[in-house]
Amino acid sequence: MTELILQALYSGLLQGGSYALIALGLALVFGTMKVINLAHGELVLLAAYVAYAVESGLGFGPVVAIPIALVVVCIAAVSVYFVVSRIKKDREINSLILTYGIGVILTNVILLVWHADVRSTSSTWLQEAFVVGPLYSMRSELLFFGVSIVLMGALWWWLARSWYGRAVRAVSSNRDAAKLMGIDPGRTELVSFIVAGILAAFAGVALFSYGVIQPAYGGALTVKAFIITVLAGIGSIPGVLLGAVLLGIAEALTVTLASSALQELAGMTLFLLVLFVMPNGLFGAARRRG
Amino acid sequence: MKTTFKRIGLAALVSAALIGSAAAEEIKVGAELPLTGSLARVGAGMQEGIMVAAEVFNKTHGGKHTIKIVTIDDESAPAKAIAAVEKLASEGVVAITGGYGSNNISPASDAANKLGLVYITSGGVDDSLVNAGRKNFFRINNSAGYEKAMVGLLGDVGAKSVSIVYSTKDATSGLAKDVEKALTAKGVKVAMHSFDPAITDFKPIINKIKIQDKSEVIAMVGYENDYVGILRAARVLKPSVKAMVGVWSLATPKMAADFPDLMPNVFGTALLPFPAEFKTADGKAFSDTYKALYKKEPDYLGQFGYVQSMLLFEAIARAADKGTLKKGGVAEEMRKTDRDTLIGRVQFGANGDNPNFIHRMGQHQDKKIVIVWPKENATGKLAYPALPW
Repeated sequence: MTELILQALYSGLLQGGSYALIALGLALVFGTMKVINLAHGELVLLAAYVAYAVESGLGFGPVVAIPIALVVVCIAAVSVYFVVSRIKKDREINSLILTYGIGVILTNVILLVWHADVRSTSSTWLQEAFVVGPLYSMRSELLFFGVSIVLMGALWWWLARSWYGRAVRAVSSNRDAAKLMGIDPGRTELVSFIVAGILAAFAGVALFSYGVIQPAYGGALTVKAFIITVLAGIGSIPGVLLGAVLLGIAEALTVTLASSALQELAGMTLFLLVLFVMPNGLFGAARRRG
Repeated sequence: MKTTFKRIGLAALVSAALIGSAAAEEIKVGAELPLTGSLARVGAGMQEGIMVAAEVFNKTHGGKHTIKIVTIDDESAPAKAIAAVEKLASEGVVAITGGYGSNNISPASDAANKLGLVYITSGGVDDSLVNAGRKNFFRINNSAGYEKAMVGLLGDVGAKSVSIVYSTKDATSGLAKDVEKALTAKGVKVAMHSFDPAITDFKPIINKIKIQDKSEVIAMVGYENDYVGILRAARVLKPSVKAMVGVWSLATPKMAADFPDLMPNVFGTALLPFPAEFKTADGKAFSDTYKALYKKEPDYLGQFGYVQSMLLFEAIARAADKGTLKKGGVAEEMRKTDRDTLIGRVQFGANGDNPNFIHRMGQHQDKKIVIVWPKENATGKLAYPALPW
């Protein structure tokens, strides 16, 4: 039993890293603009399909596709920003409807271009087992777990130390006050969308490397990212990592100790339990007003 | 002179119209399919078969009856499937072919039944579909046919213990439980592992099989994305099993081409070997037309879609000849169906099910698919024990 639990904890940790990478972009945009980008999962999926196109068309592995995915997804993210930024009234609710529509369009574009077939990397190296004692994983899972941690560290540093990072936090905290301090909120929000695009590009390539992709998968990714964002507490990067890892471990332990049919239920129960005890999420502070 | 030309022109137009109407009666048939959403891949595969059937039928019966397919995407959603059936009825279709996923087919065929339209499918194997008392519902395959094939193969290889990993969807859980029942009755030790369709990491399940079950065979009842996840997890954990066995969507040329490292020696249900060999005239007509229309090798989804649609078109033609097309004649003619098809003999029982359906088992061997069960249909030697890793 110990062996099973150890493997479940390890699998949950790696799965949590991948969830965190998917959720980070959504959390960032949600934190800065109060916009729930319901097309975020489709942006992640777009990156995954770019990786597939590079692998199947040019014969290069998914890692080589990262620069191309970055360009494509950032262009898509900027386009989403320009559409969302046109909303002048009730941005929170209108952006929800608008980004949902963009998500549907993106799904159908992916379906038209790459068809409905199941896709995944054919790189044998990425799928090979990496074994440490009783713990098993694919190389790709471990590689992108590392990438996820590095990106989260970089994002934390960027938000804490860089001028734009501070501007993002200022706009997130109080848009009008930030404007009075000489910060251009529009440009800051654009930057946060571009950073979210970068994170989505890495998440998509990671997804293609260890998982399976299909055009209809985007919605499920957005839901997972949204759960983690709320679980973490708005605007908290460590919260995203902790929330994602908690979710991953809860799911893996449910599979091991009970049944995998209950996996999603366990995740949602954890989500509701945390919100019941800590309504602002794991790391979220009560928002100041004014 | 001008008047003469006008008269000739008018006469030509009238005669062309008369010849046209006498030559072929155009009959509309609805195709309700998931072309987007989670079932888009299988829906598109079935649609190819339907279009091939229409093409072949119109070539052979075109002088008398012409089938026109009206397609509506049900977006893989039950509510949209009902709306699609109602829209097709309003457009004047005489019957519906298509449907994928038992949870979509059930409400869609209910709607068709209420509208008095025949509904035929090969996309739903859940037993509840034929036990609901729908008079106009027909299907050419069923859970029992898949169960017989899987249990038959496991019996032939002498498996003593089997771990069944299955999706919690209606059709997959129904089939998994039927297989469990049949294997247990034969004295085989069975361990069941259900999984949520949203699951992506199968390592915790495979680890349970490796450490706790220690079964000889892992039987997978799911869909393409599930198989890839299960096989990858098994490749990483390497449980000491003797074979990996699945059902639909696994022993296909597409899986062999897309996942060459995961497929070697894996078993799955298969109607035909790959490269496909079509020996009958019907098979050759299907294969040639399919290749001409889609520029690729036909697959099992196309075959099922072709068979269900061809049987429907033939019944429609017979009803049209008897003048009962709009008087319930299609359902009546469907019940009289008894013919050999690409999936074997098809007849319909009182509940609309095909009691003759029995699948075959194929095995991925050297990027080919070899039929290994039943022995009388085998095209090659069964490899056992044999694993993809």
